[in-house]
Amino acid sequence: MAQDSVDFSSHYQFWMQKLSVWEHASTLETQQDTCLHLPRFQEFLRQMYEVLKELNSSTIIERFPTIGQLLAKTCWNPFILAFDESQKILIWCLCCLINKEPQNSEESKLNSWTRGLLSQILSAFRFDTKEVDLFIQSLGYTPEDYCPGLLKNMVLSLVSELRENHLNGFNTQRRMVPEKIRFLSRICIPLVTLPDIEPLVEALLTYHGHETQEVLWPEFFDAVNEAFLLKKISLPTSAVVCLWLRHLPSLEKATLHLFEKLISSERNFLRRIEYFLKDSLLPEAACHPAIFRIVDEMFRYVLLETDGAPEVLAAIQVFTQCFVEALEKKNKQLKFTLKTYFPYASPSLVMVLLQHPKEIPQELWLQTLKHISEMLREIVEDQTHRSYGGPFECWFLFIHFGGWADIAAEQLVMSETESSEALLWLLAFSYSPRDGSLQRAQTMVELKAALIHLKKLFRSPTLSAKDLQAVAAESPDRDPRPALCQQLSRRLLLNFLLWAPGGHAIAWEVITLVAPTDEITHEIIGFLDQTLYRWDHLCEEAPRSRKLARELLAELHASSTSQLKMLGTGSARPRCSRGPADSQAQSLNVSSPTVLPQKNQQ
Amino acid sequence: MESLLQQLERFSEVLAVSRTAAVSAWGPAAVRRAVQWARYLRRAHGRLRAALEGRRRAGPRLGAWGGRDVVLSARLLGNRALGAAAHRCLLRLLFPGPAAPAPAPAAALQARLARLARRRGAVRLLLRGGPAEDAALRTQAELLLRRLRDGPAGGLLDGLWARAPRAAFLRAAAAALLLDPAGPAPGELLRWLLGRADALAALCRDLPAARLAALAARHPALRRAYLRQLARWGCRLRYDLPSGRWEAAEPAHVSWAELRGRFLSLARAPPPLKDAALAALEAWSARDGAFRVRGLSVWTDLLLALGPGAGTDSLGAASSSGVLGAGGCRLARPGPARSPEHAHFPK
Repeated sequence: MAQDSVDFSSHYQFWMQKLSVWEHASTLETQQDTCLHLPRFQEFLRQMYEVLKELNSSTIIERFPTIGQLLAKTCWNPFILAFDESQKILIWCLCCLINKEPQNSEESKLNSWTRGLLSQILSAFRFDTKEVDLFIQSLGYTPEDYCPGLLKNMVLSLVSELRENHLNGFNTQRRMVPEKIRFLSRICIPLVTLPDIEPLVEALLTYHGHETQEVLWPEFFDAVNEAFLLKKISLPTSAVVCLWLRHLPSLEKATLHLFEKLISSERNFLRRIEYFLKDSLLPEAACHPAIFRIVDEMFRYVLLETDGAPEVLAAIQVFTQCFVEALEKKNKQLKFTLKTYFPYASPSLVMVLLQHPKEIPQELWLQTLKHISEMLREIVEDQTHRSYGGPFECWFLFIHFGGWADIAAEQLVMSETESSEALLWLLAFSYSPRDGSLQRAQTMVELKAALIHLKKLFRSPTLSAKDLQAVAAESPDRDPRPALCQQLSRRLLLNFLLWAPGGHAIAWEVITLVAPTDEITHEIIGFLDQTLYRWDHLCEEAPRSRKLARELLAELHASSTSQLKMLGTGSARPRCSRGPADSQAQSLNVSSPTVLPQKNQQ
Repeated sequence: MESLLQQLERFSEVLAVSRTAAVSAWGPAAVRRAVQWARYLRRAHGRLRAALEGRRRAGPRLGAWGGRDVVLSARLLGNRALGAAAHRCLLRLLFPGPAAPAPAPAAALQARLARLARRRGAVRLLLRGGPAEDAALRTQAELLLRRLRDGPAGGLLDGLWARAPRAAFLRAAAAALLLDPAGPAPGELLRWLLGRADALAALCRDLPAARLAALAARHPALRRAYLRQLARWGCRLRYDLPSGRWEAAEPAHVSWAELRGRFLSLARAPPPLKDAALAALEAWSARDGAFRVRGLSVWTDLLLALGPGAGTDSLGAASSSGVLGAGGCRLARPGPARSPEHAHFPK
């Protein structure tokens, strides 16, 4: 408590000094300084109210003899009054100052003075001449009627001036000078969350002048972005895109804000991720290549930092999906070529990946997958194809469209014919991009064996869990298999359970057998959610499989006990660990790196 | 509903008193009642308005009732005559603090007052960038129109003409007529203006030329009235031979310069107005004989003063009024070859 009051008095002194500086000079610097400190000052006012409300008036004066000055200076500062809730808290503080039983003339005078300040906040400062005042009065209206209308019209005329500026181009007569525009952006900083000011904010954001340098105040962008992220202002998407294009830190903050939301929500159903993504407006904004590249870069960073967490992979996938949707909605003709979005990728590969499986008849899926696999393999295995980046770049591109890997797994399980090498390679690559060719070949062999086993059982009407256990679980008479193979086998097994006619009956039993740990349960939950999500988007009928998947998901959720953290560790993860060339060893820092670290890919 | 209307009337009395020294007689209880009334009426107002709109009844001036709770609060807060105890009670009612208890109307009023304070701050900040006369005028015009729409106009405009500051009233009226040329409220305003000679005269006299031109362009009836007024003014000017100038008979009358300025702005207006103005000048000039001699007819001199373009432009345009036909050829471009009389009359 004593420490608190010591802290508070030092804050008090600090703010007293600040207010005095702000009062005496009304220069650019003081205005800027004021705007920077507004949120903290409001916090201080809140704290002060908490202190003052416990005391009576005389004690207040005793303890804070200069409080009258402080409050008066605050009243006189239009920036403070215009900001958020500061005027309300100030009024509360002033109310505390009123003495219930003034004992002497001093106290009465103080009361009177406080009353004066209070009424000043609400009704002084004549906006117009006395003549106009009388006119309004004779109409039967009051200054309280006049003020909102005046504000609205002032905003209206400023907005039309700004837009005319746009139209008039070099007609210097009607142009708003850059100083005025800069001034407006400064003035708007405290006012950003006032709904009446929204049209002006929008006009400033979308204003494109003829000056070579940015004319708006950077703190303005910060303030607007903050308000937008906290949903305290509603802006059309075009204005938000302008904001992000003009002010990179805002875009970065918005992306980080999204990441925080994704991290903090416990169970990341893909539907929820999709909702957060669309809500953030980032996919739509990403139709502009510059924005896409920055956001993609940040996703890449998080992916590396979390060592390829499945949740991040899922987020990237959903982001890309929303982005493609938005792109299609925008215009049928692409304003920018694909290369501007994916500069490090082979254009033909991008074109193939961009296809939505829905647009391709199911019979051709196999073919498409083979095509994708071949293209990727060519780039990855051909050491001379440096222009398209190494395995990691390829893989990073591929996981944007990770739905294809899931389809590949399904196709492998469901097809009657011998397992296609191309699909096996694709699956192995998607789970572990940095394997050498030998390792990958080994993985493919393992998978093939598992598939042969599964295909034999596919058509059996009745199955027993024991039959399938061998596929996924460790068996004592073999070498312990690498985690990757186990994970892949589980994937194939789950697909089998969903699609095989006899899988329904034994599904739950098998799952309990192969999922001894929370980690693996978590993985299976993710798989089921992802599968259902994909089926929804593909309008895949399969009522039986759907029902089964939903039931299993529900049961697993019910029985799952652990906290599902986004950054869980464990072996069940695709290997994309950083190579020796990378040097980013810090843990994920979700509070604004404004300069993204250089990435060194081998 | 009738009782509600009565309550509104009674409240308006309370509202009127809240500004005066009579509140010194109010104790905390009276203040509490007044604020509670205000809150209640705000809620009732919403319902009443909806009901009336459904029945399309011309009710009393309901529009004005929207924000009365805020008005009452602001007035009482600013009224020095209110006793100390009453004032403290008022503060408690209006600003219950962050944990505003159950009665939600209390929190709502607090929020409204805070918003008013914030808006005032916003206006102050924006005004730093320069005066906002356009916006101010527009707001006054909107309020005028609102008043006309909300209530029985009856003696309203007459009353305003009698009581309100005339210059402000006329400016607002002009702005209102430009803001919304076609609505019923401005229509009423226009009718009143045209029917009221002194108001019309003052309007034509006090407003700047450009604004009148804009008004005349939008409202044909006003255009005719304006031109008539200009004619009246012109007729009062007398030519002073020695100085070679048109003089006003009395200092209060409109001067030659101003008249010329008026016609200049009319001539700069787009065709319908411009043509009408020039046609009028031609007609009056023709009536005076259309001698191209300075000093004989103020209208001729005005035409000449408007410049070479004035007469011929309207001639050059396709269809002019029949009046022009007669005087057309005489108003050929006044080049350097003037009649010899001009040489004796220095400008």
